[in-house]
Amino acid sequence: MMASSYNAKDEDGHHSGSVSHGGAGTAKSKKPDNTAFKQQRLPAWQPILTAGTVLPAFFVIGLIFIPIGIGLYVTSNNIKEFEIDYTGVNVDSPCYTCANNFSWNSTTSCSCTVNFTLEQPFENNVYMYYGLSNFYQNHRRYVKSRDDRQLNGDATALKDPSNDCEPYRKIGVETIAPCGAIANSLFNDSLELYYVEPSGALNAVPLAKKGIAWWTDRNVKFRNPAGVDLPTAFKGTAKPVNWRKPVYELDPSDPDNNGFINEDFIVWMRTAALPTFRKLYRIIHKNQSSTSTLPSGRYVLNITYNYPVLSFDGRKRMILSTISWMGGKNPFLGIAYITVGSICFFLGVVLLIIHHKYDTRSNSADIPN
Amino acid sequence: MQAVLASDYSFAQFQYLRRLLLVHGRWSYFRMCNFLGYFFYKNFAFTLVHFWYGFFCGFSAQAVYDQWFITLFNIIYTSLPVLAMGLFDQDVNDQNSLRYPSLYKPGQQNLLFNKRQFFLCTLQGVTTSFLLFFIPYGAFSAVVKEDGSNFSDQQTFAVTIATTLVIVVSVQIGLDTHYWTAVNHLFVWGSLIVYFAILFSMQSYGLFGLFPNNFPFIGAAYNCLSEKGVWLVILLTTTVCVVPGLVVSFLKVDLFSTLTDKVRYLQQSRKRHGPQEQSLRRVRRTSSRRSGYAFSHQQGYGELITSGKNMRRSTVSSACSLEKTTNGSNWIGNVLKRKNEVSCSSQEFIAAPEGNSSATKTPRQQRTD
Repeated sequence: MMASSYNAKDEDGHHSGSVSHGGAGTAKSKKPDNTAFKQQRLPAWQPILTAGTVLPAFFVIGLIFIPIGIGLYVTSNNIKEFEIDYTGVNVDSPCYTCANNFSWNSTTSCSCTVNFTLEQPFENNVYMYYGLSNFYQNHRRYVKSRDDRQLNGDATALKDPSNDCEPYRKIGVETIAPCGAIANSLFNDSLELYYVEPSGALNAVPLAKKGIAWWTDRNVKFRNPAGVDLPTAFKGTAKPVNWRKPVYELDPSDPDNNGFINEDFIVWMRTAALPTFRKLYRIIHKNQSSTSTLPSGRYVLNITYNYPVLSFDGRKRMILSTISWMGGKNPFLGIAYITVGSICFFLGVVLLIIHHKYDTRSNSADIPN
Repeated sequence: MQAVLASDYSFAQFQYLRRLLLVHGRWSYFRMCNFLGYFFYKNFAFTLVHFWYGFFCGFSAQAVYDQWFITLFNIIYTSLPVLAMGLFDQDVNDQNSLRYPSLYKPGQQNLLFNKRQFFLCTLQGVTTSFLLFFIPYGAFSAVVKEDGSNFSDQQTFAVTIATTLVIVVSVQIGLDTHYWTAVNHLFVWGSLIVYFAILFSMQSYGLFGLFPNNFPFIGAAYNCLSEKGVWLVILLTTTVCVVPGLVVSFLKVDLFSTLTDKVRYLQQSRKRHGPQEQSLRRVRRTSSRRSGYAFSHQQGYGELITSGKNMRRSTVSSACSLEKTTNGSNWIGNVLKRKNEVSCSSQEFIAAPEGNSSATKTPRQQRTD
């Protein structure tokens, strides 16, 4: 039974209108509004994947990525880096005795010396890093074991830190400042670098210890608790279990680098994402004169070996590196860009060939009805 | 009335069934399948990054992202674009849906969302999560900032991967949307802008000052996203994640185009070449739908047809006058009226005003049926 028109709906409206004619003045129709939104006729852009859009896109991607990749790779190759492992695993390594004779209770610290040679001179600023391997700073229990309020200088949190710091929260009745496992495992090796002059004399290389942490960390996130001086401010708190000195003696020579705002401490508290990481230790600023910052030649690294890693099969190393606009030496990004660019270009060519050979784009004539 | 109250859809005339099925039913199936496929893909890409991270964090279930990002990802950052796609997406407009009823077949044959499609969505999600994790992993294993300070920390890693994820899923929904209305544009670009706004506001000093333990990511967004290296990583990851899907979609449309693709292409070329073709087609078709029925109990309509009066506007009144004769001829009148409607509407005439008598008769007839 085929009825013709849409009048039936109007009629419904009229019916209801006639029923309520005594009420409201105008009868409201049940028909939805004939607007573009409600009738789904909104103006729209309807893109279609055609060969004319997709293939040029692939070629463009290839042509953009390959030069970027080459630039990145060349920049990375120009960065100079030197790395030396000083854990002391082998019997013949300089730090073997220090590594194996480590004891938590020893009052004297062990020292060892590592000699190395730089083949090429390092120009501009040189950055000295310490690297650790097999050290899981990204373990969940470890990452949450800190109290940011206490580190921000909050007085109540200093005496009563959060429970996340357990079991490094209190010793007896005294709270630990700074609490938590991250602070407790602070890296405390000392490294000193000497250049061996041709005459044989040792020339200490000046190592700057400020400016190694993020500005926001140093100035906003970490604050010392208020007090006349630092020992007073930290009165009533205990040092972390595995530290040799309390927190207000981290750098007695510089009150601006002491307590919670000590930059080595801040750098350590910024937990690394992966089990093999490096953290900035010192900066060697470039010379005012025209000589290179680190001329090529022999160097001596003096290590105060305080940090035990052999128990968990970790490794320690010292890295010297120059940097560029894209950071340190990392050929991965350059190679990845070149690879992706070439693959896209190659895909573009392949798709072009396939499209030409097997194009089955039909015209409207053979659309079945 | 009880049947109406108990049913999902109810409508007054059988002819409405055609539009309900071929237009709205088909669109609904298409939208649901697109929506579902995209939703699974997005959530697999988001969640499985933690699976890959588990291998590098000692399987301790450390989250890659900021806790706030995990909370807001599905609520704010990605909910609106997919909602807009589920509401407004159309592959073929309504006239073409009615004109080519075979487009309804994918719904009947369960082609758009079955085990195979689900497996492909899942595979795409897993691959995206793999690339989302391992490309930043490769880039971050030894990266430092321009000023040499640390960069491969947990928070920078989190911000990089989170930003990449939001950009990748937004680009993917951009490629999946077939019908870009203004609302779609607003939701997609708006979600990206809102992501960056919330990111920078949550990792700013103000919120950290109020709740230090709840907003520990202070400074991370600023320090991370101001590095050129990070943006290069994001660009690379986005391209690598999106290109395979693009290749597959393009090959499907080019080599194995379905009826839907052909009609879409036709629709687009018609829009470009103007509407003249359409009206020609319509007139041709209506002229083939002449009534060829023979009636032995009365004179019949031979005269009417051969005179061509039923092709012209003026025959409306004659159709009306025919109504008054017999009940049984009512439907022929309706057929003629429909023909008038079609031929008239192609030239955008107002639909022939059916006599009120016919309108009042038809509903009554339906009720008795």
